[in-house]
Amino acid sequence: MNSQSQAVDTFIKKVFAFLDEKDSQQLAPFLQCFDPANSKIIVNANPFAQPAVFLETWQRAVVQTQHVLTGLDYHVIPGTGTTICSVNGKVRFDESGRDKEGQDSAVAELAGVANAGAGPRAPAAKPRPMWGPYFGTSLQLVLDDRVFNGDHNSVIYSFNYTMVYKPDDSLMSV
Amino acid sequence: MQNIYQNPNAFAQPNPLDKRVKISVRGWQNATRQDLVSFVSRKTRIGIVDSTVEGNLVVGFVNSQTDAQSLLNWNGVRFAGNALKFEILGSGTGDAGTSKTIVLLKSFLYKRYSPQTKMLDLGNLRNDPDLATNGLFSSQTTQSKIFPAMMKLASKESQLVVESINLSDNDLRDLNMISCLAQTYPNLKNLCLANNQISRFRALEVWKNKFKQLRELLMMNNPITTEPLYQSEILRLFPRLVILDNVVVRNEAKMQQVFSIPMKLQQFFFENNELGASSLEFVSNFLTLWDTNRNQLMALYTPQSQFSVAVDSSVPASSVPNADQNPTFGYYLPLSRNLTKVSSERTKQQRLAMGPEAIDKLFNSMPKTKHFLQEQASSYSVEAFSYAQVQGFTITLHGYFDEVAHPDLDANKSTPNSAGGRNRRFNHGHANTTNKLARKSFDRTWVIVPSQGTVIIASDLLNIRAYVDGSWVAQQQAQEPLVQGQSPAPQLASQPVQPMPQNPLQPAVSGVPATAMPTAPLTLPADVQAKLNPIQLDLLNRLHQQTKLNAEFTYMLADQSGWNFDVAMKGFQESVNNIPREAFI
Repeated sequence: MNSQSQAVDTFIKKVFAFLDEKDSQQLAPFLQCFDPANSKIIVNANPFAQPAVFLETWQRAVVQTQHVLTGLDYHVIPGTGTTICSVNGKVRFDESGRDKEGQDSAVAELAGVANAGAGPRAPAAKPRPMWGPYFGTSLQLVLDDRVFNGDHNSVIYSFNYTMVYKPDDSLMSV
Repeated sequence: MQNIYQNPNAFAQPNPLDKRVKISVRGWQNATRQDLVSFVSRKTRIGIVDSTVEGNLVVGFVNSQTDAQSLLNWNGVRFAGNALKFEILGSGTGDAGTSKTIVLLKSFLYKRYSPQTKMLDLGNLRNDPDLATNGLFSSQTTQSKIFPAMMKLASKESQLVVESINLSDNDLRDLNMISCLAQTYPNLKNLCLANNQISRFRALEVWKNKFKQLRELLMMNNPITTEPLYQSEILRLFPRLVILDNVVVRNEAKMQQVFSIPMKLQQFFFENNELGASSLEFVSNFLTLWDTNRNQLMALYTPQSQFSVAVDSSVPASSVPNADQNPTFGYYLPLSRNLTKVSSERTKQQRLAMGPEAIDKLFNSMPKTKHFLQEQASSYSVEAFSYAQVQGFTITLHGYFDEVAHPDLDANKSTPNSAGGRNRRFNHGHANTTNKLARKSFDRTWVIVPSQGTVIIASDLLNIRAYVDGSWVAQQQAQEPLVQGQSPAPQLASQPVQPMPQNPLQPAVSGVPATAMPTAPLTLPADVQAKLNPIQLDLLNRLHQQTKLNAEFTYMLADQSGWNFDVAMKGFQESVNNIPREAFI
């Protein structure tokens, strides 16, 4: 039991870390966590045909995020080899106006001044994110019981992620 | 029918209520409204009457301006662990001078407002003949008050839809006088501050992160524009600014993309129509029994079924609409299987209920509830999709409930373990507050297995969290929750189902249209309407929107006021306390 709940906890934290990952090179290991044939992915009640499409969209079109785990519970469904997890958390977004690649929406010469050398002209410098207020999230996962053995390969059968509350002072529109 | 509008003296009669002054109190939340009123009366010898709770304020009336002023001297007085803050919201009707100023400023606002461009032109105020003649710009003191007063009036005028404001040529050195603009028009898109005397970034700092929609700003002919960091500082202060002094400073398309999450919130997701219909039916039936007779739900649980409740006690940011900043989970904490909080293996095992008997006991250890699935369908969000391994499906419901009664079994008392003992020892005196009944938000996920014409619940995961408005709820709807007798919210069962092709999964279209709408236009009897000209009809509609009076009374008010909007509004404000309830829609 101990190892079971810790294994789930570890896996969920890994999922959150993947979602918060800026480096697109890290997408491949996350993609491997999804069952390639049958996984169902629903985000804010929008379905995705394939895990790769979801991850590509998340990487390309969502700014850097920071997830915090605030609640976790799960039930092993006997005789099915699967477990259902209910996860609660909160997420905030980088509201600096830059995308994950560090590209600023401010016109180049201004961005250069504003970020003291950051932006497209100096990609080596890492501008710090300007975190906005937290949104609430609720995530339900159906996982293969192999996750209890630390096996994260193709274990996600469904991934239902919903932003359940939103602050009205965020710049993000969702 | 006898009514106040047939008695011209009604408006002029002195009314003791006229002297009352409206006040508000902040920081009282650790106790009840009644406790607060008693405390204030005892401590200050000033009675607050007709008090009501409005958001985080208690709003009420004191007998006179003197009382109101004395109350302000008590700001900071400790009550139930917090410092109270009193504020004067305004006198009942005010004296004649104030009313005159209000009428004057209101007509000024309308004179300077262009509905076509949605612009409020407040440029060069000191040279406005109306304001100058009435001495409103005669001294520094009146000047500093006139703008906030204007903004306060403007915020109450629902017809003033303002996207642009011109504040040029006002000799402004800082924003002190106009800082309240951010409260009145937080969604302002265009602002002109040209030809003023603003010279320091510090002066603009009060507006940092305030105008999150501001697209264009004009600051020409201010000393600040010559500062070397001028543009970058302005960009920092206004995160969505695109045009500064007629120069494009941000790539708008890129900015829209950066600040937009492509997975737009939807209220519903159903993998197919059939699942949509059966999920909604299940949720509706389940919650009806959950609210009335939980024991009857036991038929749905088998000896293998599991149920657990988890408390997410994180407090949502205060900027989340209607967020409960002081949630209490006293009844749930001893049951909570939130594995990020519970470390003991034994406890994790104990708090997982398996089989009807254990589940029933857990159900009865939670407060009795009322959900509002029928009355307030828009506050609930559902996702349902198949779960092949159980040959069934999962339903996840997000929403809220009111706790209406204490549980039959109190877990705080029924588990006399060491933790219970500790609670009593260190939490004495707080028992009532930790276990008070309140509104909560929740997420609940069922794993459903169809079986012989009925269903079995294989797993039931309930997460309880502090109340917030759901993210999918349109804001105007959220602001008026549960008004009885008003246009009923659409019922869940009648919602169009958001379909999803079987396979592969594809993005589906929007679920439910927002139903928020302002007060309905006035409907007059045809014979009355036929006699009115378009200007009169417009005036009636404006009065109706403003006063919420019904058609008959709106007409009488307009007729008695010589079809003058300002006179009518003044008359209405002065006699609002005497107007019978049935006069309102």
